[in-house]
Amino acid sequence: MVRRAAVCFIGTAALACAVTASPAHAQAKPKKPAAAASAASAAAPAAGGQYAQRFATLCAACHGANGRSEMAGTPALAGQHSFYAITQLFLFREGRRSNEGMTAVAKTLKDDDLRGFSDFIGTLPFVPPPPPATPTDSARMTKGQALAQQHKCLFCHGADLAGGQQVPRIAGQREEYLQMSLRGYKTGTRPGYTMAMTEAVSQIPIEDLDVLAYYAARFTTPPGK
Amino acid sequence: MKQVRALTLLTTLCCASLTAWAQTTPPPADEPGWAKGRPKSDSAMKMAPVPAFPIPTAADKLPTAKFKLPPGFKVETWASGVLDAREMRQGDKGNIFVSTLFVGNKVYVLPEKAKDGKREPKVIIDKTEQATGIEFNKGTLFFATNKKIVRYDNIEDKLDNPGEPKVLTDKLPGGSDHSWKFLRIHNDKLYYPIGAPCNICDPGEYAKIYRMNLDGSNVETIASGVRNTVGFDFDPKTGNLWFTDNGRDWFSEELPNDELNVVTQPGKQHFGYPYCHQGNIPDPEFGWGKSCDDYVKPAAFLGPHAGSLGLKFYTGKMFPAKYQGAMFIARHGPWNRTKKYADISVAWPDGKGGAKVEPFMTGFVENNSYLGRPVDFLVMKDGSLLVSDDHAGAIYRISYGK
Repeated sequence: MVRRAAVCFIGTAALACAVTASPAHAQAKPKKPAAAASAASAAAPAAGGQYAQRFATLCAACHGANGRSEMAGTPALAGQHSFYAITQLFLFREGRRSNEGMTAVAKTLKDDDLRGFSDFIGTLPFVPPPPPATPTDSARMTKGQALAQQHKCLFCHGADLAGGQQVPRIAGQREEYLQMSLRGYKTGTRPGYTMAMTEAVSQIPIEDLDVLAYYAARFTTPPGK
Repeated sequence: MKQVRALTLLTTLCCASLTAWAQTTPPPADEPGWAKGRPKSDSAMKMAPVPAFPIPTAADKLPTAKFKLPPGFKVETWASGVLDAREMRQGDKGNIFVSTLFVGNKVYVLPEKAKDGKREPKVIIDKTEQATGIEFNKGTLFFATNKKIVRYDNIEDKLDNPGEPKVLTDKLPGGSDHSWKFLRIHNDKLYYPIGAPCNICDPGEYAKIYRMNLDGSNVETIASGVRNTVGFDFDPKTGNLWFTDNGRDWFSEELPNDELNVVTQPGKQHFGYPYCHQGNIPDPEFGWGKSCDDYVKPAAFLGPHAGSLGLKFYTGKMFPAKYQGAMFIARHGPWNRTKKYADISVAWPDGKGGAKVEPFMTGFVENNSYLGRPVDFLVMKDGSLLVSDDHAGAIYRISYGK
């Protein structure tokens, strides 16, 4: 019997990767405009007028007016893909991903709302994280890069960790949110459509997951790429 | 004596260091099964499987009016709001059962007749991963996930509370790659596949079509070398099993083709995977030392990475004579090919082991994006043909007449 830990897989896994986690389709869609430092100024609500307003009243308090959350444990949405966003909203609404606050919000949303919010989130340009309070530990970054290679993170999240389609951007995400997510996958408390991410990380020690979170949170695409 | 001691010590040291290694260095995560064989080029590295969209397309936004069919045929929306609609089967009392794959985790039942112009899906199985394989036979709903096959007897009398099913097997290998099920019952045997657990690998006891008695006993191999079939049916004329098979990924954009195959000697035939693709391309890795001549060749090609899913012989009377005895094939469309395509094709056995295939219903793709993706068929009593669409979460009805 061939037993394999499919990370992303195709059917399910594909999704899995995808869903909870990741592939690479990212580029099937036009790239988001590179965020200039000034992107910190609230994203222009050019698209999705109604949902830009509803985002401002319903989501911004925790996730930030421009989608760059400043609240611990709350993910940055800026630079996230609409397909990933709608998948997560769907999983919250179905009760398959658990978070008290988000589930309560998602339960009130109709299908059109899920589309509207996720389409709007998909328009928010990536906003780089604020400069870290302490200098970046280059040894930890090197180890994080090696771990990301070793554990095939790039297979779904892409060489730039920017994700795509149903796979989230993890580059520049809040560190403690990444940490919490990875631990949730490891213990199986955070499923995607499938357990692909759990299969991918279940053998990785917590310390290494934390290094991966450190690395992805500080990851920047080398200039020229 | 000394030598023995030295050996013991060495063994102890070895073990100790191995243990230490195991504690500090976890094995690297496996490459995802679907990514095996993926080239490292930028464009290929950006491709991965995509699940159905988690929200059904609203009824007034469905692509129904954009579909094109041969003259005399028409298509209408039969049901909308059926999230992740995959396989369809009809009960004796008219109920239509609809399964899902990764997104829905459900099996629905829909009424045959619309009420106030609508058919509301009612969930009868919920919170179940890969709730995909369904078949109906003599009052019983057979249901298969990637891990088990069960039966719900007298299901149509218990739609509000189906109760606990009887387990036929809970020993299926599970997993993610090609592990979801398609079921068909023929002459009181239940046919089901176990797909390859990867894109390309040595599949062992996977990559086969099996059958069992309706109580789960007497499992037999029907066909080997079948990478991933998601649709099969029996030719009403000959009794032969015809099946679609999804070809390996990442060989090239244009190769290999998905296969349409026919089993003429149950249990004795090997259809090539992983050694030979589309009957004439030896696998670059697994094909060494093998000859394509040793494997059964496909009856027809179904297109590169076509995602050929449901297959159903048309057994109704409504369609013109030309379509009697033909099979309909749902080409779901590729996820790892730059140019997308999807359609419903129709195929005619040529009586010599081959088949002629042509497009039947098109219009699923616009601007290289999917508006809908066909999955499975159901021939209705009036001879019309239902088609499920997991991308749009809808079911269409194809009919013929002036």
